[in-house]
Amino acid sequence: MFIQLLIGAIMLGGIYGLLGLGYGIIYKTSGLLTFAQGEVLMIGAFLGYTFFKLFHMPFLVALLATVVIMFVFGFVFEKTIIRTILGGGGSAIHVVLATIGISIALQNLAAIIWTSEIQQFPPIFKVEYLEFGTVKVAPESISGIVVALASMVLLHLFMNYTKIGTAMRAAAQDSNAANVCGINVSFSKGLSWAISSALAAVSGIIIGPVYGVYMLMGALIGLKGFAAAVIGGYGNMYGAILGGMIVGVIETMAAGYLSSSYKDFIAFFVFIVFLVIKPTGIFNEKIIES
Amino acid sequence: MARYKNWLIALAFILVFVGLPAWVGNNAYLMLILSLSGIFVIASIGLDLLFGYSGQISIGQAAFYAVGAYTSAILTTKLGINVWLAMLAGGVLATVFAALVALPICKLVHMFLALVTIGIGELTHQAIINLPDLTGSFTGVRAIPMPRIGDYVFNVSSYYYIVLAVVVLSLLVKQRIVDSRIGRAFIAIRENTDAANAMGINVTYYKVVAFACSAAFTGIAGALYAHYIGFISPESFTLDQSVLFLTAVLCGGMGTFVGPIIGAVVITVINEAIQVLGSYQMLVYGIFIVVAVIYVPEGLVGVVKMIQRHLLKAVNRVAD
Repeated sequence: MFIQLLIGAIMLGGIYGLLGLGYGIIYKTSGLLTFAQGEVLMIGAFLGYTFFKLFHMPFLVALLATVVIMFVFGFVFEKTIIRTILGGGGSAIHVVLATIGISIALQNLAAIIWTSEIQQFPPIFKVEYLEFGTVKVAPESISGIVVALASMVLLHLFMNYTKIGTAMRAAAQDSNAANVCGINVSFSKGLSWAISSALAAVSGIIIGPVYGVYMLMGALIGLKGFAAAVIGGYGNMYGAILGGMIVGVIETMAAGYLSSSYKDFIAFFVFIVFLVIKPTGIFNEKIIES
Repeated sequence: MARYKNWLIALAFILVFVGLPAWVGNNAYLMLILSLSGIFVIASIGLDLLFGYSGQISIGQAAFYAVGAYTSAILTTKLGINVWLAMLAGGVLATVFAALVALPICKLVHMFLALVTIGIGELTHQAIINLPDLTGSFTGVRAIPMPRIGDYVFNVSSYYYIVLAVVVLSLLVKQRIVDSRIGRAFIAIRENTDAANAMGINVTYYKVVAFACSAAFTGIAGALYAHYIGFISPESFTLDQSVLFLTAVLCGGMGTFVGPIIGAVVITVINEAIQVLGSYQMLVYGIFIVVAVIYVPEGLVGVVKMIQRHLLKAVNRVAD
């Protein structure tokens, strides 16, 4: 049973890590918080479901189409709503409230378009279960882990070895200096929201086949993504992944060995303990403290 | 003379609200909206003290709301304690809870404080769900009794006067706090925490006091809610509820006297109004929040001030 739990934990950890990555990237480039990531994950899952099941596209095509759409969504969201709020005299808390509003609207939109029942992905692979000795694992879990890891590696390569990625990191580190160097900081910010949305959409497509797709699936996951980001060090890419794994393992092991109704309590308890005792996280990112 | 003027205006408003039920023909639905608005106003006053005056973001007020509600509900249904005492106990317990929680977290600011308050809210929600012997978990607490004076038992209509009385009392207490050195400490901390510290203000102490005060109001509001509806369950004390409180304070106008009142009433009315939209209601609500934040970041109080300014300019132009 431990192996099964571990695989589930790593998959969940990967998802929390991807969400935490998204939060960190947005925070690093624009200093803002967003509460819409959970719902972006949910919309991503629904889009993937629609493309794969209703339009009968091959799975990888559905995945790509969803990611591209949500990428554009993130970019447009930043350029329109976020810019308008900040330009009209709003501050970070207004952006937070706006993203909460968007998340509520998206939940309802999903319920209207796709009904509020749980939708199931048709099987992606021809085998239903992979067997390793006594352990049965759904191949979707393994593919989920692979996709999550691939996304993280791709992001790492993008951030460190491409011109745009390096420009983004420069803009995040010091936007004035980056501006002086000719980097389009505004485009960077839009890009960071776009990438975060894409990561959340990928997470949705990972978790959709395993747990089903429904309108509330993103809410709690979105909050735990925050836990992942904080535990690893808010804003640190690798910290987010590590934090995600920690949250995933704690939650799954608690559910497996203690009781599944306590798992959320324990997850949030660890979250609060970290915020109080070590808000800078494992990788020691600096935070605003009075 | 100016002081008396304010008291007279206040008295006039109180008389209006006391007479309102009779004037609108004791419409039961209107009474419901008025009472719920009143309860919301009390909770908004709490959040305004915390966020508007001491600058501490909290998206977890539902935790204090829950402590007040469940304490009062459990004390009356399981131990048969007098309703008035139980409601007070709910407020006191919420205050103590907030003070204990605030001690370790008040050193955080901005988004980290927001995150930890969300965590506290969620933790409280999970605690309610995971203590079935105490709270009944998802089944909730039912048959919560109405308060009584002697032989008279209040009902859903006359409860309005209890809420009105507590609202007036809350506004009085809030104004007292704001005008005192506590209020001045809050504002100093909000404006520039380091400067406040340098001036000798014990920042940690006043931050904790801010949390405690806000929980006192929110806890009492929770207790009032429990006895009004007669039934509570974990679903009323989620992040959505905390967001409602925050929206009310932000949209009404923070750090003002009327801001939380306007915000609370508007949010309650909108909440009821969109019920008719059925499955579209949350969509409209979400879009409303976004629009409100984009166009009215200062809250409705800011809008009123803007209108005043434009009116003054127009009047001056006409006078020339």
